[in-house]
Parts: sequence; C-alpha cells; structure tokens
Amino acid sequence: MSVAMSESITTNGYTDDLRYEIFNREFMPHIDSMYNFAFRLTMDEDDANDLVQDTYLKAFRFISSFEQGTNAKAWLFRILKNSFINDYRKKSKEPSKVDYQEVETTYNSEEASDTTYTVDLRADAVQELIGDEVANALNALPVDFRTVIILCDIEGFTYEEMAKILDIPIGTVRSRLHRARNLLKEKLKSYASSMGYDS
Amino acid sequence: MNASSHTPSVTEEAQKQTMKQSCEHHAECMKIIQSILDDEATEAEKDHFRENMDKCLPCIEAYRLEKCIKESLSLKLVKKPCPQSIMDTILTKVNS
Repeated sequence: MSVAMSESITTNGYTDDLRYEIFNREFMPHIDSMYNFAFRLTMDEDDANDLVQDTYLKAFRFISSFEQGTNAKAWLFRILKNSFINDYRKKSKEPSKVDYQEVETTYNSEEASDTTYTVDLRADAVQELIGDEVANALNALPVDFRTVIILCDIEGFTYEEMAKILDIPIGTVRSRLHRARNLLKEKLKSYASSMGYDS
Repeated sequence: MNASSHTPSVTEEAQKQTMKQSCEHHAECMKIIQSILDDEATEAEKDHFRENMDKCLPCIEAYRLEKCIKESLSLKLVKKPCPQSIMDTILTKVNS
C-alpha cells in the first residue's frame, strides 16, 4: 500500500500557506537523512538525487494526508521506500547484485538458524575497522536486510516506526534485524580477516 | 561492560574463571541482547539481562560485539549532505 493511498482516508483541509509552512518546517529538515537513505538504497548518486526529488514532490502533492504532530520523518521515509520499490528497484542495477536464492533461504531459515548461528568475530576487531569498511559490509547485504539496519542503527527508528515504514509486523522487523545483523557480522568478519585483524 | 580494547587484568581473568563458559540458551539471549541495545526490551527482558549478563561469558562477548557494531554503524559511516542543487530544484518545483 502506498502512502498516497491514505490520502482518501484523511483529508486535512490545509490552506496553501499552511502547506508551504508544513513542508518547510516539518519536511525539509530531514532532507540530509533522506538523501543518505536514498543513496544507501540505490548506491548510485544520480538515482539518489532523483529518488529524493520524487519523494519530496510526492510528499508535497499528498501533504493533506500528513497529520501535523505525527512523525514527519517516518512518513517521508515510507514514501521514499515505496518510491524505491515501485520506481527504482526494477530499473536499477541492484537486482542483478541480489542473490535472491540467498534472500529466500535466509527468510525461510530465520528461526531454524537461530540455535546454531555464531560468527567468530570479536568486538576489538570491529573497532579496528574504518567507516568505509563498515559501509562496504553494509552495502554487500541484500537490500531488505540493509534497509532494516539503516533504519534502526543509522536513523534510530523504533521497531514500531520501522513496521509502519516497511508495512510489516513488528515481529518481522525483529527477526529481519536479527538475520540482517548475522549477515553483517559475516561480511565484517571477512573484512576483519582480510585486514589481518585477529578475530 | 566496557567495549574498549584492553589487556585483561588478573582480577578480570579470575572473574572469567567463575563465569559460565557456554550458554545453553544463547539464541534466546541474543534476542534479549538485541532488544536491550535497540532500547526495545520489555521489563522482563531487562530483568533477565540485569540478573544474568555478568555471569555468562559468551553473552558478555556477544553483547560487546553487537554494541560495537551498532556504534560503528551510527558513528563511523560518512553522512553526506543533500546537494544544494537538489534542494533548490525541489523548492522551485513546489513553489511553481
């Protein structure tokens, strides 16, 4: 379900002045976070630029479905995520990079893998890694797993906000995060090993 | 629990000897650790964490690792500012 669809449910009769005020006061301050989210999803500067621009124009067009006092950042992130899925994911280079078999297997084994799953990685080794190495490990994850980590660990959204942004139940947020972090640990482990850090 | 890198002292080594060296419900503990670090833990999970997390070596190490990864993600990754040209384009289109 797209954010735009909720417009018919809630129609706030904002005046033009109020629409601009809300846009400038509530939406624009989040533009750097939005840009970084777009860049980490598309991993392409031009696509990120287009995605942010499209998202903000959509947000303005459907501003009547935004309720003042509610979480503007989460509302914007949800539009951006939906735009990414509907407009960008299909045409971007991303699909060829994603190992769908891996995603499928991973989703299906979420519970089963819990009992045995450990990655031999020490906190000290992670501390040695620089930002680029952590970013590369994150970027190597399939986009759905990358997304939950971005929302939780980089943007600081709560599980409840993430559930709304992603249109999934909180339980799924929890288990997807758990799997995403295990996958991330594997990627970090290979970076730590390649850098010669004792792990 | 301190995530910083240091050489363990004699006292710490002695403490380690009395700790559990393996955790029979580590999978469940990992879920609690995740909830704690994400500030999403229930009161029961917080109680369990407070009562047990200084007794079990695998859980302490897992906590340190998860905390370190979470902090690395929030602190080490470069956050780029949105290009001014994009902001200008948005504002121009909205105002037209």
